[in-house]
Amino acid sequence: MFYAQLLVNGLVQGLVIGLAALSITLVFGIARFPNAATGDAMTLGGYSALAAFKATGSMALGGVAAFLATAVVSLLAYLAVFRQLANRSVVSLLVASIGVAFFIRAVLGVTFGHAQQVFMAPLSRPYVLGGVRITPLDLQLAAVAAIALAAVFGLLYFTPIGRQMRAVADNRDLARVSGVRPGRVMVALWLLAGGVAGVGGMMLGVKTIVSPESGWEMLLPAFTAAILGGIGSPGGAVLAGLLLGVAQEASTPFVGFTYKIALAFVIMLAVLLVRPRGLFGRVEGAR
Amino acid sequence: MDAYLAAIAIIALIYVLLSLGLTLQYGLTGLINFGHVGFFAIGAYTSALLALKGVPLILTFPAAAVLAGLSAWPIGLVSLRLRDDYFAIVTLGFSEVVRIVITSEKWLTNGVQGVPGIPRLFEGLQGFAAQAATLAVILAVTIVAVWMILRIAKSPFGRLIEAIRDNEEAVKALGKDPASFKIQVLIVGAAIAGVAGAFYAHYITYIVPDQFIPLVTFYVWMAVIMGGVGRVSGAVVGAAILMVFLEGSRFLRDIVPWISEVDMASVRIGVVGLLLILFVMFRPQGLMGDYTKR
Amino acid sequence: MTLEIRNVTKAFGGFQALDGVRLSVPLDSLFGLIGPNGAGKSTLFSVISGFLSADQGEITLGGRRIDGLSAPARARAGMVRTFQVPREFSHLTVRENLMAAAPAQTGEGLFGLFFRPGTVRREEAAIAARVEETIALLKLTRVADQPSGKLSGGQKKLLELGRALMVEPRLILLDEPFAGVNPVLIGEIMERIAELNGRGIGFLVIEHDLEALTRLVSRMAVMDRGRVLAEGEPAAVLDEPQVREAYLGGLS
Repeated sequence: MFYAQLLVNGLVQGLVIGLAALSITLVFGIARFPNAATGDAMTLGGYSALAAFKATGSMALGGVAAFLATAVVSLLAYLAVFRQLANRSVVSLLVASIGVAFFIRAVLGVTFGHAQQVFMAPLSRPYVLGGVRITPLDLQLAAVAAIALAAVFGLLYFTPIGRQMRAVADNRDLARVSGVRPGRVMVALWLLAGGVAGVGGMMLGVKTIVSPESGWEMLLPAFTAAILGGIGSPGGAVLAGLLLGVAQEASTPFVGFTYKIALAFVIMLAVLLVRPRGLFGRVEGAR
Repeated sequence: MDAYLAAIAIIALIYVLLSLGLTLQYGLTGLINFGHVGFFAIGAYTSALLALKGVPLILTFPAAAVLAGLSAWPIGLVSLRLRDDYFAIVTLGFSEVVRIVITSEKWLTNGVQGVPGIPRLFEGLQGFAAQAATLAVILAVTIVAVWMILRIAKSPFGRLIEAIRDNEEAVKALGKDPASFKIQVLIVGAAIAGVAGAFYAHYITYIVPDQFIPLVTFYVWMAVIMGGVGRVSGAVVGAAILMVFLEGSRFLRDIVPWISEVDMASVRIGVVGLLLILFVMFRPQGLMGDYTKR
Repeated sequence: MTLEIRNVTKAFGGFQALDGVRLSVPLDSLFGLIGPNGAGKSTLFSVISGFLSADQGEITLGGRRIDGLSAPARARAGMVRTFQVPREFSHLTVRENLMAAAPAQTGEGLFGLFFRPGTVRREEAAIAARVEETIALLKLTRVADQPSGKLSGGQKKLLELGRALMVEPRLILLDEPFAGVNPVLIGEIMERIAELNGRGIGFLVIEHDLEALTRLVSRMAVMDRGRVLAEGEPAAVLDEPQVREAYLGGLS
């Protein structure tokens, strides 16, 4: 029963990681660099959702606000910074993404202050299913995440722009000669990548706290899940996020709360050494 | 005033040491070390904890260098098989794990409460004399480090690590193994960061895990990028500019009292972020110019 | 003394890039390797030099098995490759590029460079002298102190050759040494190669410029679809019907 409870907690946690990993793997697969600003984009999502939630009391509207605000900021970061560096080395993009991360964090810190904030969600009686407690809040969050994921995957697999995005991820040169317009693909990419990070950030905020540093802490688990899932594989990222979330929860009784992130690091090293393409990725998919 | 200037000079020299390590690793060899603060932390805690156990400082400083250097060895073995961008992520992760370990292992590090009462260098001397002597020692160590890095840069070893930075496959084709050079560079850079950590611990006399956040790593990156990647002089100049920036922001806070300390911290992070972006975009060669014209 | 390639295969996913390649290259010869695009020539180079590992097969150099060795170890065993797209150390000068290529330098160890400065100085002087010879040989004197990233395509090709020479190998694998090089320079490079071959260094050369290659080499092999179709003297090889069909026919 204890483990079933950990499993449920782990799945909710895993959705947070999965959404962040999805954002990372999309950018890594298509724009070809590990975006270190993903964590702070999540923080932005957390604050946006909190503001909308306080104003309306609706968790769903919070999710919409998180998605939109983060998508817009992500697009702005692309237009102002990453697009200008498209033909430069990976290290330029990587350092610039750290810069973007710090800048977002600073603006949030000045705007919202440094005190930890929480979603004051109304307490409600958890459903008990065979001894496992599932709160309505968890269900709401899972629903928001599911809608966001369904939207992203629907767009990726059932629309022309989604097909183009996947074509660019597969082979940029081939995509270009077959008439894909890279500009539009990039705009779609950054909107999507920002949006899912934002929703992940809202979930993180609801489950824990919102503070200017809260999203950054998710960066390592998110990278781990993206690598475990196979860079450039959206489904892999989400699945690996869920796996990692459950693994972290399941290990907590043994290694303690703070070593959760260290566990992600160990898994990342193991994957990189044993199977660098991840569970579902292609060997050279990222380059 | 003298005491204030000496204090700034000591902290600036600590950043110079950190920048020298990163210049060797990134500037000369092309290793994207995003975990510099991890080695800095290991050096600080090693020297502080040993000193509190009664080990003389003449031994704790070398111990800091050795342990920080040794900790780089497995990281090097594991991650030098990886691509540049994965190496960056792994080193970043390493420094975060170091911080988690020193936060969690309370029996050793006293956790978030930190380690207070670390003995200063020259405890026997009084007041300003102690500070001046500390400054003299760290200055001497920094000069030795600069000499070492310059010596390395101008040697056949330096030539080869620059060749690795420019094209690793071609180095392999010539019969030389890039991995062994990268590991040596990683260890030497980490050892220098470890010594910087020891100076930091014994100067501040009180260390907590929160002093070893990734922001410190990127302060050093900012210094190296501003000074000019791949130039030893750039590391020194960049660290000096960094110090002016950090102290300047503190002054600003003194004159503009309505900005709170936490807000100032945010502003500082924002400026670091903005500078990283602007330099990468508009002046990747740094303030000092192109490194091919050393 | 030969480089022996026996039954080497290499597949990428479903694509059979090398399909049982057999080839015997005498270490003092001038040996050409031709074939249409995608025939597997560059893949074979990478497999021989250790940049890719073969799925199956054996490679020996002068009787010694080398297929288990890393790329650097194979170079140290006496066989150095160049790249189709030049891989110069772009921030180093031409002179520094060549100095860096010299083997077994005491100053490339941290211990040596700090504790045996005398030895390092002596070695550097000796290497510098060899570098001057190489620069003169390849007629790179004018650009010797320029960053190599600023050289022309042809000069970069020469620099690649020069670096390979600095290693003092028994066999040099040249991947399209004439591609993108101006015709005047092609003649010069060919003279250099013939000259060096006279001093006992072997060359295995991939080249699309058939006319230039047939003038240069004494033997050649033709590859197509991962196999060696024919091998022998250039004129005889090009006359074989199989070759004409697979290669020359494909061109016209």
